[in-house]
Amino acid sequence: MPDPIVDVHQLRKTYRSLSLTGRRRIDAVRGVSLQAFPGEVFGLLGPNGAGKTTLIKMLLGVVKPSGGHARLLGQPIGSSAARSRVGYLPESLRVDRHHTARSALRYYGRMSGMTSAEIHSRSDELLKLVGLEGRDRESVRRFSKGMYQRLGLAQALLHDPDLLVLDEPTDGLDPVGRNEVRKVIDRLREGGKTIFLNSHILQEVEMVCTRVAILAKGEIKAIGPIDELAHRDQQKLIVEVLGDAEPDWQAIFGDSLTVDIESTRVRDAFRLSIAVVDQDQINAIVDQLRRFDQSIARLEVRRESLEETFMRLVGTDSVEEVAGEEVAGEEVLS
Amino acid sequence: MIKPYLAVIADSFHSALASRILWIAMVAIWIFLAALAPIGYHEDYTTTFRWFDLDNGTQMKAMLARGLVDPKESETALGRLARTFPEDIQRKLRQVARGEDVRIDKGALADSLNESLDNEDWYDAEAWRTTVRLRELRELDEIPDDEISEPERRRRARLRIEAALPGVFTAMSARSITLSYAGFDFPAFFLIGKEQFVSLINQFVVPIMMDWLLGFALIFLGILVTASIIPDMLQPGSLHLLLSKPISRTMLLLSKFIGGCAFVFLCVSQLVIGLWLISGFRLDIWNARVLWCIPVAVFLFAVFFSVSLLAGLRWRSPILSIGVTCMFGAFVLVIGLIGGYFDALVRSPDRISQMSFDGQDIVIATRGGELKRFDNDSNQWADVIEGDFRRRDLIVPPVRIAPGKIATARIRGGRFNLYGSGSLDLLVLDRSKDWKPNPGLRLPNGTRRLLVVGNRMIAFNNTGLMATTIEQVLDESGIDDDEPDQTSDDRTTESGSESDNQPEAEDGSPSIEVSKIGVTAWITDLIRMQGGATEAFRVILPKGVTLTDPVRLDVLPDGRSLVVYARGRLMRMELPGGGDDAQRKTATLAADLMLDDNDAARATMAAAGQSVLLARADEPVRWYQADTLALLAEFPAPKDRTVVAAEGLGATDRFALLTTDGSVRIATRSGDRVEWGTLPQSEVTAIKYDQQSGRLAIAHHIDSIDFVAIGPDATASATIQRAVRPSLTSWRSVDRYVITPLRTLTPQTGELSQTVAALVSGKTSFAIGDVANEEQEVVQLKIVRPVASCSLFLAVMLTLSCVYFARRDF
Repeated sequence: MPDPIVDVHQLRKTYRSLSLTGRRRIDAVRGVSLQAFPGEVFGLLGPNGAGKTTLIKMLLGVVKPSGGHARLLGQPIGSSAARSRVGYLPESLRVDRHHTARSALRYYGRMSGMTSAEIHSRSDELLKLVGLEGRDRESVRRFSKGMYQRLGLAQALLHDPDLLVLDEPTDGLDPVGRNEVRKVIDRLREGGKTIFLNSHILQEVEMVCTRVAILAKGEIKAIGPIDELAHRDQQKLIVEVLGDAEPDWQAIFGDSLTVDIESTRVRDAFRLSIAVVDQDQINAIVDQLRRFDQSIARLEVRRESLEETFMRLVGTDSVEEVAGEEVAGEEVLS
Repeated sequence: MIKPYLAVIADSFHSALASRILWIAMVAIWIFLAALAPIGYHEDYTTTFRWFDLDNGTQMKAMLARGLVDPKESETALGRLARTFPEDIQRKLRQVARGEDVRIDKGALADSLNESLDNEDWYDAEAWRTTVRLRELRELDEIPDDEISEPERRRRARLRIEAALPGVFTAMSARSITLSYAGFDFPAFFLIGKEQFVSLINQFVVPIMMDWLLGFALIFLGILVTASIIPDMLQPGSLHLLLSKPISRTMLLLSKFIGGCAFVFLCVSQLVIGLWLISGFRLDIWNARVLWCIPVAVFLFAVFFSVSLLAGLRWRSPILSIGVTCMFGAFVLVIGLIGGYFDALVRSPDRISQMSFDGQDIVIATRGGELKRFDNDSNQWADVIEGDFRRRDLIVPPVRIAPGKIATARIRGGRFNLYGSGSLDLLVLDRSKDWKPNPGLRLPNGTRRLLVVGNRMIAFNNTGLMATTIEQVLDESGIDDDEPDQTSDDRTTESGSESDNQPEAEDGSPSIEVSKIGVTAWITDLIRMQGGATEAFRVILPKGVTLTDPVRLDVLPDGRSLVVYARGRLMRMELPGGGDDAQRKTATLAADLMLDDNDAARATMAAAGQSVLLARADEPVRWYQADTLALLAEFPAPKDRTVVAAEGLGATDRFALLTTDGSVRIATRSGDRVEWGTLPQSEVTAIKYDQQSGRLAIAHHIDSIDFVAIGPDATASATIQRAVRPSLTSWRSVDRYVITPLRTLTPQTGELSQTVAALVSGKTSFAIGDVANEEQEVVQLKIVRPVASCSLFLAVMLTLSCVYFARRDF
């Protein structure tokens, strides 16, 4: 096992404030431990207020931990040595309005200690990579949010960091832009970079991340490869059978299966949802339906999506946080 | 290592250059400079009379009236000049001569004199031969009429008029400056030479510009523009990215701070460099020190910006930053104003300006026009004559006239008009009567100095020197007769009354004697009105001598001679004594020396032992042999300082010099070399040598006095033999324990204009006011205090900001 790039142990952060109503204490992060390894795309998931941003801020040295310890690239978090090898794309990048894309890259490059020549050669390459080629002399005042994100990604990559911390990297991008960002991330991963990704878009995380950690109320609820978290061995068979009257399921499947059958009327058919464990069981169910001359209109094997995993782990408190995202992990037969 | 921070600073410059407000400000500056560019000036002879040149309207009226009505004056310069006035003024002057109270506008008198400059029909060489002509006039008189230029002719005419009316006009520079704009002259002109014009620009115009243009307008604009720098930086999308870079938070904040000053630097640089070029090309004043305004203005802005910085960090709101900074500015302004009022109304009026001693008793005159004595029992200064702030009375410096007796006088409204209002009585303070003032002899009008020489009291005013005896002073004061105390207000004196002891004049100068030879009583009144002799005081000025301001006097230790400096002329006069000399009524001019250079310059003079010391502004200090007035030594005044008072140390041939920096130096001569040492006292306001005790009294820190014995080796053996440290009055306590700490803790941003004045002029202190006044108003420019207080405040604010920024979770 190689040395972890991100190595977090029992990291805690407590915010304290004093107001007229008394002292307040908020435990934003409660003893988080995680590790991200070289070449890994590590996703950080969690509802708002889960402590994701606080955790990233602590890793970048923006916020000081209240307890625990962590290292980036073998260096203590917050140290200049650690920060010099990290590229960061903030969630809502704000670039001063007097800049152009190129002058902004020059500014941030100098902040990272790069020489003018280095900045110049890298800028051309990165502007092309993020699709801002030809618009590099344009004032950022005229930039859309998506262009800002592209510029942010370019500046994060400018000094060729070993670790990239991307906070909602596809926020504001159109589908084409998102695809391009995904490609960039894939390419970087192939190049051996480690990426620490914070995103609300579960599909995106599912597509690019090798491992994820799910945070809720300041604690890690689950961590590991997505397949392990999603309980992929547990699946359901959805079958729609045409007919005006509901068939006698007990007669078809016998006593053994009927306890797991959920039947609902869907337009001119009846939909069955049956918990299955393997393909033999699916084949047996289909054979049985056909033996009783049932006409199958639709058949689908459904596994647990990341969203469902997320919901299962985080609970109903955060439904609104992830609603509206695309359903992941569907395999459809029709 | 420093590259990232340079990038932040450079980025701030880019940000400033991209600001529309900067460009608007720049355009405004360019328009201002363009509007100022056509200004110019030229130097001319001072010819035109203005109303305020007439130093003494009362005296002028009296002289002209006498010139009109006195048959003896009909062919004199005075008479000839008086007849040139328009008929209505002549009519009023005749009314004056009849003793009527007539008001003649000074402006009308000045206009009439200006008309006389064009046509010199009134001039007659013979008539003017008896007048006292200054060196400049004598030189101009030597130029033939066909060779003299028109400006020179007008100047000569003015000087002839001044010679005919001695003592009437304020001492003025021979040259004056007229400003022009695009080739057109301004109607007003400055009665100063080019050197003074440059000083005026450096000491007053530049600081005012610093106060208003740079210190207020640009700083306020800068605060408006830069207030958003920190809140913008604290936006999450900006701050988190910056903090993720391998840079120090403290350095990042300081770089932002320095960068924030870029805006003001860009604006101020253009304005100051533009003004410098205009003053160079248009006014021929190439003073590169003006460029000091740039760093000082940026420094001033930095003080305010440090407040905006901390407020921005704390509240992350530009509006709040501006609000807090404006409140801070208002607070500083209010503290400065309160401090200024305390300076003007509490500290300054209490400042000792003159001292007189009788044994252990001390009587002082203060800048506030009060006369006080030191009460040992209460350890406080007790009022002898209370001052009136509105009336601005003038106290004639008190002098000891006899054991337990000190004489002085109060000129009502004397700070506005030396001749005051009402009669002027000598006031004698008597120890046996608890130093209450007893009105005594009527003094000549406009008396501004009393001297005691032997058994004589000499009064000096614009007209000259008049003397009486100490016995007569004491008799008239009624002290010995145990008369009830009266104030001068209660006393009534009949004008024109004659006394048994009438003085005489043998030189034809104004004297009560004229009434004896049959001239009517109104001439006596006129003479008295113009400051001539009174019943008791007789003229002692030698014939042919006129005292033109600036005049300085001192008594030589021999008790018989008087040293007089009058507008470039240094004289030693021997007073009439007893024995064979008893018949002589006037002083004898024993030595006479005409000095070159600027005879209208501010001057200080003192006599000691066999020496006379004369210090004129912007000239070396000169040391003369008292008998012959031969120059013994010449030495430069201390660097950037002017001598404002000098005291001879008795018969020891040494002098104490008070310079504009408020320190006292003891000067001793060895051959043609002069050495001096500085005494430890600071903030000195007055010095006086106490003849009785042989100690030098040094008034310092407003109302404290040290009596210092100066040993043979001058400063090395100087010891304080008595220290007067009066208890604080209630207002002074408030000043010391409330106002002063507040001022110390508050950055003195307003005083930075003084720093600029000092940097630009190259002087840390200078004397201002009428050169005729012996008491010189000293302006000490504060350089260290405002810079130190602002630097300290800046350091504290930046430290607080850096600590807050470094420790805070964002």
